[in-house]
Amino acid sequence: MVNPVLLIAVPLGLAFMVPLIDSASRKLTRFVPVAALMFNLILCIRLIPAVLENPIVINLGGFTPPFGINLFVGPLGLLFAGLISLAGLVVSIYSLSYIKNGPVVKYHMLYMLLLTGATGVVLTGDLFNLFVFFEILCISSYALVAYHGDRAGIESSIKYLIQGTVGSGLLLIGIGFIYGIFGTLNMADIAMKIATVEQSTLFVPMILMVAGLGVESAIFPLNAWLPDAHSSAPSSISAILSGIAIEVGLYAVARIVFTVFGISDIYLFFAFLGILTLLIGEMCAFAQSNIKRMLAYSSIGQIGLILFALALATNNTVTGGLFQLVNHTISKGLLFLSAGYMIYRSGSMEISSLNGMGKRMPLTSLAFTVGAFSLVGLPPFAGFPGKFLIVSGALLKGQMVINILVGLVLLSTVIEGTYFFRVIQALYFKDGNGERKRAPATAVTAMITLMILIVALGVYPKFLADFLSSASSDLLDKMSYVGSVLK
Amino acid sequence: MHIIELIFSPLLALLIGVFFLGLARKVMARIQWRYGPPVTQPLIDIIRLLSQKSASHGVAFNIGLVMSLAGSLVITLFLPFGKIAPMSNSGGMLVILYLMLIGPLGMAISSGESANPNASIGISRKLLLAMGYELPFLLVVLALMTAYNTTSITEIVSLQRDTGWSMFTFPLVLSGIAYLLILPAMLGVRPFEVVNAPQEISSGPLVEYGGPYLALATLQHALAFFIGISLFVNLMWGGAANPVIFFLKMLVVFFLGIFVNAVFPRLRIDQAIRYLWRWPSLIAFAGLILVCVTGS
Amino acid sequence: MTGMEILLLVAFGGVMLTYILGRISSSLRNTFAVVLSLVLVVIIALMYDKTGETIFYRGFFGIPMSFRIDALSWLFAMATSVLGCLSVIFSLSYMSDRKNISFYYSMLFLVNAGMLGVVFSGDLLSFFIFWEIMSWSTFLLISFNRGPAVAAGLKYIIMSIIGSMAMLAGTISLYTNYGTLNIADLSHLTVSASPGYQLFLLIIFGVAFGIKNAVMPLHTWLPDAYTEAPSPFSAVLSGMLTRMGIYGFLLIIYVVVGAARFLHAADSTVSSFNYVLAWLGAITIVIPTFIAMLQNDAKRLLAWHGIGQGGYMILGIAFGTNMGVAGGIFHTLNHAIYIVLLFMSVAAIQYRTGGVRDLNSLGGLIKKMPVAFIGALLGICGLIGVPLTNGFVSKWMIYKTLISGRAPFLAFAALIGSWGTILSVYKFLHNIFLGQLPEKYRDIKQSPFNMKLPIIVLSSTILLFGILPGLPLRVINKIVVSFGFDSLNISLWGIVSESGMLNTINLFAAILAGLIAVWLFFRIGARTIPVKQDDNYAAGAAVPRDRYSYTAKYYDPLFRMISPYLKDIFNTFYMKIADLTGYLSNGIRKIYTGYVGNYVMYIVLFISLMIFVQMKWSPW
Repeated sequence: MVNPVLLIAVPLGLAFMVPLIDSASRKLTRFVPVAALMFNLILCIRLIPAVLENPIVINLGGFTPPFGINLFVGPLGLLFAGLISLAGLVVSIYSLSYIKNGPVVKYHMLYMLLLTGATGVVLTGDLFNLFVFFEILCISSYALVAYHGDRAGIESSIKYLIQGTVGSGLLLIGIGFIYGIFGTLNMADIAMKIATVEQSTLFVPMILMVAGLGVESAIFPLNAWLPDAHSSAPSSISAILSGIAIEVGLYAVARIVFTVFGISDIYLFFAFLGILTLLIGEMCAFAQSNIKRMLAYSSIGQIGLILFALALATNNTVTGGLFQLVNHTISKGLLFLSAGYMIYRSGSMEISSLNGMGKRMPLTSLAFTVGAFSLVGLPPFAGFPGKFLIVSGALLKGQMVINILVGLVLLSTVIEGTYFFRVIQALYFKDGNGERKRAPATAVTAMITLMILIVALGVYPKFLADFLSSASSDLLDKMSYVGSVLK
Repeated sequence: MHIIELIFSPLLALLIGVFFLGLARKVMARIQWRYGPPVTQPLIDIIRLLSQKSASHGVAFNIGLVMSLAGSLVITLFLPFGKIAPMSNSGGMLVILYLMLIGPLGMAISSGESANPNASIGISRKLLLAMGYELPFLLVVLALMTAYNTTSITEIVSLQRDTGWSMFTFPLVLSGIAYLLILPAMLGVRPFEVVNAPQEISSGPLVEYGGPYLALATLQHALAFFIGISLFVNLMWGGAANPVIFFLKMLVVFFLGIFVNAVFPRLRIDQAIRYLWRWPSLIAFAGLILVCVTGS
Repeated sequence: MTGMEILLLVAFGGVMLTYILGRISSSLRNTFAVVLSLVLVVIIALMYDKTGETIFYRGFFGIPMSFRIDALSWLFAMATSVLGCLSVIFSLSYMSDRKNISFYYSMLFLVNAGMLGVVFSGDLLSFFIFWEIMSWSTFLLISFNRGPAVAAGLKYIIMSIIGSMAMLAGTISLYTNYGTLNIADLSHLTVSASPGYQLFLLIIFGVAFGIKNAVMPLHTWLPDAYTEAPSPFSAVLSGMLTRMGIYGFLLIIYVVVGAARFLHAADSTVSSFNYVLAWLGAITIVIPTFIAMLQNDAKRLLAWHGIGQGGYMILGIAFGTNMGVAGGIFHTLNHAIYIVLLFMSVAAIQYRTGGVRDLNSLGGLIKKMPVAFIGALLGICGLIGVPLTNGFVSKWMIYKTLISGRAPFLAFAALIGSWGTILSVYKFLHNIFLGQLPEKYRDIKQSPFNMKLPIIVLSSTILLFGILPGLPLRVINKIVVSFGFDSLNISLWGIVSESGMLNTINLFAAILAGLIAVWLFFRIGARTIPVKQDDNYAAGAAVPRDRYSYTAKYYDPLFRMISPYLKDIFNTFYMKIADLTGYLSNGIRKIYTGYVGNYVMYIVLFISLMIFVQMKWSPW
């Protein structure tokens, strides 16, 4: 069996090799992330059968938990790792031509560090280790946001840095509390011991950790960094931030709330929080005239929806939430990638400057359209099965409050549809000027891959649903998590 | 017998219609202390007109007029005249209501084709006036159909034989009053003679007609007059078992119409609509409510 | 593989193929488009009188998705494919000088395929999926003309999404309650549903279908969309696509909920729903018909009639007797025929006059485009319901139902709607075809053959169905019986009901005889001399060129009376809501001040609030 540690070790190692490789051959540098992520993706796929049978627990350094640090490769972790590799791979292919100017070497290095951090967060079974990987993820993304080195980039990078640091601080304090209470940092161990402590003493550490992670995962009202950062980063990085970084944050929140604490009293609160995030995100997106900010706010909305789905904590809704998460990674990635080249060609992020793009960049516009349709949840694209599962799971709970929240979810879809269709109309049905010039082959490859995935998932959701279903029980079934780690 | 009726009843209707036209001129003349033309004058005019040459404005100009007259003739097959109603088992009141459209519509197409603004204005007024009186008229007809629970006009007539004239039976009395109030508008006599208004718009739709066209238009006018009166007699005054009595009832209605015509000046079209949509409509509406309330 | 699967495969496969062929050669694409649409017609025609259901896909979370065919779906499918085919043929020259024709054709086929999918869906999941495909492809076509069409398209898609979301909620609610979405199974399961749940289903699906069918007050997308869409597509849009709403209403009321079982129960919510729906239908007839009278844009006028006629269908099917439902379905079919015909006549005019559809600037075109005139004439006759046209029979059935159902006020709304129709459609006919021909149109040509062909086909269908209504009514009778009603007493040319009968062949014979007799009589008279339009009575003055006509403000006296009452308040209201959403969003956006101090404060406030709540009330 292949060792899942390689999922973290290979990109990490290659990340630090990038400068060396660059000094050997300039041309080769760009291909390092592609190679690393391709490797990761293949690894993830090969791990699927084994993981579905039994989660793989790796004890680093040979110490058994709760004493050593362990990696936990369950279906959920593997899902995220696979998603990170996939999105990372596609975006790195896109970057081959998109990232040409500026500190290219640093870009690729930070990019791989970011993905390493993300992979680490989703695979680790240790709270402090989680914090460390989380910092790797955050710090590389602060730097990448400022990649262009322009005023807006640096300003939003600083804002992001400040808020991120506050978040990290809170997370660290929370972890400290936990360590003080339990004397252990192993997540499985804490989860086992959680019942021995009175519930109310756990509140403060939990809320600190949730708030700390909430900053990264863009839960309202902790998400103010996001629109700035997403809109001023290079589009490839926006795609990763939107598709990976905040989702990983959400993973961490979910892991801590469900698996580590697992106290169901607070779930409904998260559902409300999710709906609030959803509505505010969508309404802010509705008011935008800047395409990237619009997409960024739409990410907030989607995170809210996913949070809502996860917070309902039934197998159906969590599966739906995870489906929506996968869809969001792919679709939002596609949207940012296609918008990236359109912005590159038109030189402006205003939606009005995209008028008539359908004629000038037909394939890119098509990609944007497919992404938008999918995100709105129109069949036969990938957004529909997710929405279907979420709504059916929520209605299955049969509570009036939740039914009303479902109504709000559907309402927000209307708002979402409105602003996306407005852009699509601008692309196809308004006249603009500019030369007809296609996106380069690498970008087109990336976009076509994502489009195929969107349609495939939309037409045959079962292909993913079974895996997601076991991922959701991985998240919800606390006992088996504890059991498989501590044996 | 049936075939004879089929051929006979339209001819009878034409004859009575033309006779009414002649009689109207005579009566009007006597009211105004003139001598007036002979009663047969319209018939003589029609024969003369048929022999005159005339200008045609195109195919629709011809077809529309033919369609208009043919449509009116067909209605006479559905309307009981006494007991003569050869086609009443092929459709009831609803068919009559809709057949009554063909006449004006054909006329409208024909005179529209004549490309004369006077004709267009006339048609516009005709349609507006129709809108005006159809509102109360439909309410009246619905009250009748609801009260007798049938859409067949022969049944409405035969039911009145038991109950007495609709106009004087309790729940329908309001509808009867409303019908009486709109009857001049349906017959197109003054004060509702806005469509043809010779002094204003040169006879409106008729402006381009001459020769055989005018003959057909006159016949259509006569038939429309006949149908309007006959419908009223059938619906409100109990029809008749005997054609002679039916004719006498029609004559009474005809004289009522002529008297109104003689004493009132012409309204403007908007005044006409305002009048029709106010009291007659309100009374007809109240009548329908009354029927609904007492019926169930 | 069954016929339905092949059909849908052909329909959806054709979409891609049309686009690809369009990249190669336009004539190849045109030929293919015509052949494809004919093939669809043939396949569906071959499926006549079949019933059955096949599962075609289980890939969606294992929910079996199936196709189902019965009389109802066959009728709608047949109408869809025939009208689609005629529309394609018509488009051949109408669209020939436009850009993006391949896109147009492939979207036209996608809309068609979506509609076929909707009517053949055997379960609500595939129904929803096809419905959505249909909706967004329609959006792409409505906006096709750019300019004002963009706003129209946006309005359409927003309302359409609202409807879809309502439908999604209803569908999923059914799924969570019964664990199946199969329509046939659901129709057995809902018998035991509580009255409240039945009402919920009817309302939530009613919103979706009401928006699609433009029932007042959910109609506001329609006038703009019909007006701005490319005309051959306006025809499809008004003829079939909007009427998918009627199909949906039939499906939910009479199949899924199975209203025929409940309508006579005293305490049933279904009958009160139907009662309200019938009144909405009546309102939908009256107000739009009068608004139509005020329009000066040919397509907008037809669009308002499209709404109004939808009211008749709703009234018929909501009243819930066998004749009413049959009348409603028949009127749907008839409306499809004559409104497509009318839109095509307008399109023919637009094609020859360079896109003019302003009623005040046309006139006298009867001499130049006689076929379009015949189309328009028969179209408006059908729309009014003049005897011997198809519209008469279906309206007769609806009136009959209402009168014998003792609902005279509903009948009044329906009848007065018809009389209002006459006014506006006569203006339509007069201002385009009659009156003086303007100088600038002196040299325009007839419409090309492929425009004439659909017009002729549809015109003759109007008469055929008007004289022999038994042809379609046989199929419709099967539908009505399958809903659980008694069979209608119909023959090829007659309908009998308890309160009177209709015999169209006698009517036809009488009118024909009347026409012949009058024509002969007319011919006995002296000869007539054809004259030019300038040779006209002008009270002795010379006829002023181009200005001797009466078209603008055609119904001014009435207009001045009623126009203050005929504002589309719902549209204004929705626009207000849209504006309000905009303001609200802008306000909410200000949460993100751009000042990082505030942002950090949010984080701290969040935690403090949490801790405060916990310490104060300790909910956790």
